[in-house]
Amino acid sequence: MAGYNRNVPQTSQTIRVQVLFFGRLKEIAGLSEESAELHGDASIASLFAQYATRYPQLLEYRSSVVASRNREFAAWATPLHTGDEVAFLPPVSGG
Amino acid sequence: MPATSSDIVRLAREPIDAQALVAHVRGAGDGAIVVFDGFVRDHSKNRRTLYLEYEAYEVMALAKMREIATHLHDNFAIDGVAMAHRLGRLEIGETSILIVVSGAHRAATFDACRYAIDTLKRTVPIWKKEYFEDGSVWADGELPPVPAATPPAETAS
Repeated sequence: MAGYNRNVPQTSQTIRVQVLFFGRLKEIAGLSEESAELHGDASIASLFAQYATRYPQLLEYRSSVVASRNREFAAWATPLHTGDEVAFLPPVSGG
Repeated sequence: MPATSSDIVRLAREPIDAQALVAHVRGAGDGAIVVFDGFVRDHSKNRRTLYLEYEAYEVMALAKMREIATHLHDNFAIDGVAMAHRLGRLEIGETSILIVVSGAHRAATFDACRYAIDTLKRTVPIWKKEYFEDGSVWADGELPPVPAATPPAETAS
């Protein structure tokens, strides 16, 4: 299960994105940043779903997670492309 | 007069020098400076706070803070903006956020400073963890507004 993204064949149908986690999401996943290989039709939602397979506790927070793509808040259906930087963000509490 | 290039927007791991930021935005054409100083209180929901830790998605947080500064210039009759947020461990009483706005008149200056802190708390990716005697908790936050539609595909710039 942990190697799910290594099973994706290296073809033009795959993309590679950088994934970042913050706050309690970082604690749940136990990582702050990694490179992930995905199917070419992947969206932010499908990327999150893949991590939820690895770290099921992420699902508990799905409704209070916001995602960003290339440092702009982005809808879950946003398609991804190679080189994108995707971050999963808990509710913000600065100030 | 817009002077965005002279604005200060920063994330800091050392104490914020409020006097320096106030002096920075103080222009000869100004007649008012409004300062919002947000600092660490000693309690949260009836529990005694020991200290806080802040973390940020730093590059995005800086970009969002700059967007706020630009919005202030575009929408309020103000002159200068300085905005600094601390990261890392903060002790009780230490400033976590300082926002300073200067302008010719007080009304726009107050309004702009209020807009800035309200927007920062809702849209800037910074997180606060509260430490108590018996454990720690991520502070309740706000979910930033997200565009409903899928944005056009663009490559990272």
